[in-house]
Amino acid sequence: MKNKKKLSGNYFKDFGTAVAKGDMGVKLSLLVMGAGYFARKQIINGLIMIALEIVFIMTCVFYAAPNLAKFGTLGTVQFEQVFDPLTMTSKVNDYDNSFLILLNSIIALFIIAVFILVYIGNIKAVYRLQVRKEAGKHINTFREDIRALFNEKFHITLLTLPCLGIILMNIIPILVLVAVAFTNYDQQHMPPSALFTWVGWKNFKQLFTNSTTVTFGYSFGKILIWTLEWALLATLTTFIGGILMAQFINNKKTKLPKLWRTLFMVAIAVPQFVTLLLVRNFFADSGIVNTICSNIGLTDFLKSIGLVNSNLTYIPFLTNPTWAKVMIVLINIWVGVPYQMLIATGVLMNIPVDQLESARIDGANSFQIFWKITMPYVLFITGPSLITDFVKNINNFNVIYLLTQDVYVTSDQLLANSNAKEVDLLVTWLFRLTNEYYNYKIASVIGILVFIICAAFTLITFTQTIKGNREEDFR
Amino acid sequence: MKKKVLAAVLATSMVAASLVGCGNEAGGDTSADNSTAATDNSAATTDNSAAATDNSAAADNSAAADNSASSDDPVANLIAATTDTVKLTVWASEEDQTLTTQLLEDFKAAYPDVTFDITLGSESESTAKDTILTDVEAAADVFAFADDQINELVQAGALQPVAATYTYDVAGANAAGAVEAATVNGTLYAYPMTADNGYFMFYDASVFSEDDVKSLEKMVEVAEAAGKKIAMDVSNGWYIYAFFQGAGYELTLNDDGSNNCTWNAAGATDVAQAIMDLFGSNVLVDMGDEEMATAIAEGTVVAAVNGTWRAETASDAWGENYAATKLPTFNVAGKDCQMSSYSGYKLIGVNPYSANVGWSMLLAEFLTNEAAQTARFEARGLGPANTAAAASDAVQADPAISALAAQAAYATPQRVGGNFWAPAETLGQILADGSAGSDLQGVLDTAVEGIMAPIE
Repeated sequence: MKNKKKLSGNYFKDFGTAVAKGDMGVKLSLLVMGAGYFARKQIINGLIMIALEIVFIMTCVFYAAPNLAKFGTLGTVQFEQVFDPLTMTSKVNDYDNSFLILLNSIIALFIIAVFILVYIGNIKAVYRLQVRKEAGKHINTFREDIRALFNEKFHITLLTLPCLGIILMNIIPILVLVAVAFTNYDQQHMPPSALFTWVGWKNFKQLFTNSTTVTFGYSFGKILIWTLEWALLATLTTFIGGILMAQFINNKKTKLPKLWRTLFMVAIAVPQFVTLLLVRNFFADSGIVNTICSNIGLTDFLKSIGLVNSNLTYIPFLTNPTWAKVMIVLINIWVGVPYQMLIATGVLMNIPVDQLESARIDGANSFQIFWKITMPYVLFITGPSLITDFVKNINNFNVIYLLTQDVYVTSDQLLANSNAKEVDLLVTWLFRLTNEYYNYKIASVIGILVFIICAAFTLITFTQTIKGNREEDFR
Repeated sequence: MKKKVLAAVLATSMVAASLVGCGNEAGGDTSADNSTAATDNSAATTDNSAAATDNSAAADNSAAADNSASSDDPVANLIAATTDTVKLTVWASEEDQTLTTQLLEDFKAAYPDVTFDITLGSESESTAKDTILTDVEAAADVFAFADDQINELVQAGALQPVAATYTYDVAGANAAGAVEAATVNGTLYAYPMTADNGYFMFYDASVFSEDDVKSLEKMVEVAEAAGKKIAMDVSNGWYIYAFFQGAGYELTLNDDGSNNCTWNAAGATDVAQAIMDLFGSNVLVDMGDEEMATAIAEGTVVAAVNGTWRAETASDAWGENYAATKLPTFNVAGKDCQMSSYSGYKLIGVNPYSANVGWSMLLAEFLTNEAAQTARFEARGLGPANTAAAASDAVQADPAISALAAQAAYATPQRVGGNFWAPAETLGQILADGSAGSDLQGVLDTAVEGIMAPIE
């Protein structure tokens, strides 16, 4: 942490030094950004900076200012239109669109922040030029600057585009999402016809309170627990399944290993949603699996041992909370194991043969070799990918949604009152709230929480796995 | 920990560096970054100015129309005021594409002086709301939707009121129920297109006599004797409404989008008990729509509560024994109550954000006039909302549509807020599978609390 403080301290200290010790050109740059360059006869650089400053000021006046002025209220003029039956046209007033105001304001704030960085950087740069000049060193011409971008500073040229992409595609949408969590953007307040406004922490409070009418708190707790259970189970089962499968296929006694491997790859080749929807139909209450189970008497047997409610004529594979949870994990094994098998195969092929050989000579049996050598090795190599898998499973939308949508009806009334189901993950609940109930505010809050949970988990586990010098231990 | 912080700082500084051009002898790349940003801005401003141009163009148009309003005929005025190509987008369901394409051609032919550029998109009536509410401004100018979505669409400002009609009298030509379904708070918001989106009972006449289908208890008795089942999707708010409304308990919509519900009032537990008894027999079974279709085709289900969209499945399975009628009565604490239902209509709406509201309204009228509704019945068997079209012999002879007409007396238009569905679904589920327990009043209280949850 000290590092960071020092860095940011230096950042502003340098700026202060530049302003204090700078000559006329540098000081003038505080007002006219190109001045410092003109003083060193870098005319083109100077012109570019002036142009940049003008564009920024124009942006502020014509784009940022009108939007930011309404940022505090997110708009006050409601949409109104008057239809004239005689001309068959309607007149629309100059209405505010809360969402556009929010979006544009955030972009504007972002532009301002970036400009401040550029501004400070500019002062420092011209001061550095001054220092070079005073020291009698060479000052680059514009052409040399450009050339430098393709040589010693090529990384800057390369990274510009990805950084812009990240800002446009990730950072700004995330900032908007975070902002929506503090508004009352929902079905009652949908732009462009209605306005929404800031409500502070109210949505967060709502998610953690539990009254008779608002059951979000209850649902959040239940769903969070199941989400974590699911992520743990799904990760572990597919991981172990994948390793065992790879081990069996890699075994020297297995005939036609390539054929088996290809067969399992087919499961990947079929799009997941096709598989899942088909499986959902197989396991429907009157689906083919139930017909078979009932014909061979399995249904009656399960009834007699109490696993199936006695007044049902079918096995509620995907309609009873416990059954559905077990089935989802099982079906996920089938869908997820081939991937893990691929990874495990790669790892297993790279196990140093000498270790296995020496173990065998020492008299270890296959199981001991697997448990004492193969497993630790695989775990060590795939540790980080296991963590990413866990986080991925927290957000595993496909399996849960496709298997239970339109099939599963919750019998917990409190869950139903906040549009949740026992088998929902946070992410499927979030999807339902936004897509079916337009409850963007609560969905944003859940989104933020999912992000925090995933981030916290990743950080903690990565620290644990990287801690110490495990590689040495393993050797 | 240190490493990570360092990494984070490095990453941030990398971003910053690429933006500030490393500070060091800046110039070239700084300008590259910022010129891109500048381009973004100018793009944004261009958008704005385009929007502004649109507005002024609209204003111009209306001004021009005002000037040239020599005649009192608004349509003539509109034609005179229209100089550019009229661009319209229309959404109709996948099954309606062929017919709508034909109607659009007819529409163009009806106004030969105007150049149209009409795009036909595919959007199911049942999900139109979801797509439209995502971005009202980007939605189609004219779209078809099911009447249950009208409240939310009106609330979101996605429907242009039918303030005036030009080619036919929308309110007068259509059935009263259809007009009621297209009206919110006294204002007509849409053009009725079909009157066949409600539910009723269809049955296999070889199993049930016409007397049997008058009472649900009798039907259960007959079906049990025949070893067959009766299907109804009771774990669905849309269908469970039939019982409670039929027994006289109310569910209404408040102005703010929340519900008012008396399903837990005194005596309502008898209704819940009746549902439990009926479904406890395991003869009347809770089945989703798709599952029901399979079961009908397989022959295990011989009667079902469903809508016209399953009529074909049933008539394929039962052949000439296929029959349809109004919903039966059911017994609440010794008293027979007629099951109610939601009437269902498909409507056509006009987007108020349309650049060509006038033409959109004319097109909506064209797509719902008597000729169009007759054509829709002939091509697809959809029951017309237009009274003249519905009076034809062909329509009268259709069992499903006449069953709907018989049920219409007990049906109400769907006026319910979004908080109804999930609690009602769960209520139906636990009543049907018998897991409601003995505290029925408590179950109903919880359900009603969810249904009536306030909307902020």
